[in-house]
Amino acid sequence: MTKKIKNLKEFSLSNDRYEGGNLMCPGCSHNIIVREVLNATNDPVIVATATGCLEVCTAVYPRTSWDVSWIHIGFENAAVAIATASAAYEVLKRKGRLPEATQKMVDEGREPKFVAFAGDGGTFDIGFQSLSGAFERGHNFMYVCLDNEVYANTGGQRSSSTPIGAATTTSPAGKVSYGEKMMKKSMIEIMADHGAPYVAQVSPSKWKDLVKKVQKGFEVKGPVYINAQSACTTEWKHAPEDTIEVSDLGVDSCVWPLYEIINERDEHGIIYSTKLNITYRPKNKIPVEEYLAAQPRFRHLFKPENRHIIDLWQKAVDARWEYLQKREEAGV
Amino acid sequence: MAKDIKDLGWNELIPGAALFSFTEPVEDVAEVPMDERPYAPTNSHQYSVGDWRVEKPVFNRDLCIDCQFCWVFCPDLAILSRDKKMIGVLYDPCKGCGICVEVCPTNPKSLLMFPEQVDNEEALSKWPQKDEKKK
Repeated sequence: MTKKIKNLKEFSLSNDRYEGGNLMCPGCSHNIIVREVLNATNDPVIVATATGCLEVCTAVYPRTSWDVSWIHIGFENAAVAIATASAAYEVLKRKGRLPEATQKMVDEGREPKFVAFAGDGGTFDIGFQSLSGAFERGHNFMYVCLDNEVYANTGGQRSSSTPIGAATTTSPAGKVSYGEKMMKKSMIEIMADHGAPYVAQVSPSKWKDLVKKVQKGFEVKGPVYINAQSACTTEWKHAPEDTIEVSDLGVDSCVWPLYEIINERDEHGIIYSTKLNITYRPKNKIPVEEYLAAQPRFRHLFKPENRHIIDLWQKAVDARWEYLQKREEAGV
Repeated sequence: MAKDIKDLGWNELIPGAALFSFTEPVEDVAEVPMDERPYAPTNSHQYSVGDWRVEKPVFNRDLCIDCQFCWVFCPDLAILSRDKKMIGVLYDPCKGCGICVEVCPTNPKSLLMFPEQVDNEEALSKWPQKDEKKK
């Protein structure tokens, strides 16, 4: 059953199923995303979390921050764990062996939702093969990638999500290097090409867009991939209170375009049609420079010898924005 | 659990155990407001991270317009909001990140950061006046 959320006041009536007192950094976006995702529905939610900041900080023994059924699983297999839980539920439902309370909720149309949370390390790099497998098999679950573009939990190493020019501990900026050399991998298109029925990019600062997309994702049958921008105060090195501002800058400069891809596919994985919608168009598209300037991890790019990387950034972002608009127009 | 978790030594804890959020089963958590839930001692809700703060947010009821921006963007569930009304800041889960102050749209802001040692009433008496719009 889709929860009706017209405005923020109505949204604020939600009873959180995620608890404070966890050990995430002050001003961390992960918490905001998790809260928005869990509050988007009133149905029971089953969560699996891959190793990462979120798992490490919300389950420091002997305390847990989760009021939903939750399992911690390795870096590699969050997608498989949640897919298995989803498959087990389907079997129990078919055989009529669900627990009484769950059966009652299912009869009311409140089917349990299966969500996996993982960082970009657990999604783009380490967890990719099991994620790909689970999407190929077409289980019914949602996979939320909390994309902070770095391995923040282990001290800030580069991941394949780290964008060009970012200084991380394994791609440090200095006299000979301007930091990371590669642009980030386009995970959303990769997941959409698996034939997932719904794939989207969200930002916690645009809460309504996020909630709408998550609700859409809960409604469709099949694997859903959500890529969530997650500003990291520790590794992007901005002040904790600027989290929302930095997220907004990312969206308004089109570095993090908010869009969704809807695939019409049958149970055999045959894709009949693909549609891309841009869900948020910035009124004034601001230069990428402003987004980069807000984050000290890009500070060295403003030295005269590294200026060409900023131009490269702008070119890359413009090309991508152009590409998305063309795809939306063509309806493919 | 026989002993309260606060009285347990580190060597008495069982590693790898399942942790319970509540002392008794709650059928539908999404329908039960936070203050009516039977939280178990193993729930981080019972734990305070308030000592992480250097500055604390102070809430001024007179200026608040109940927009709930602070509620939705608070990472630590430290904003208490009931029936579409903002009630106040919970100082146990609050880590003092300052997002609530940053997103507050009123003029002057209805949430402001004050040093931890300042009393809330004293802070309210020092509230800044409305900024005139610069022309």
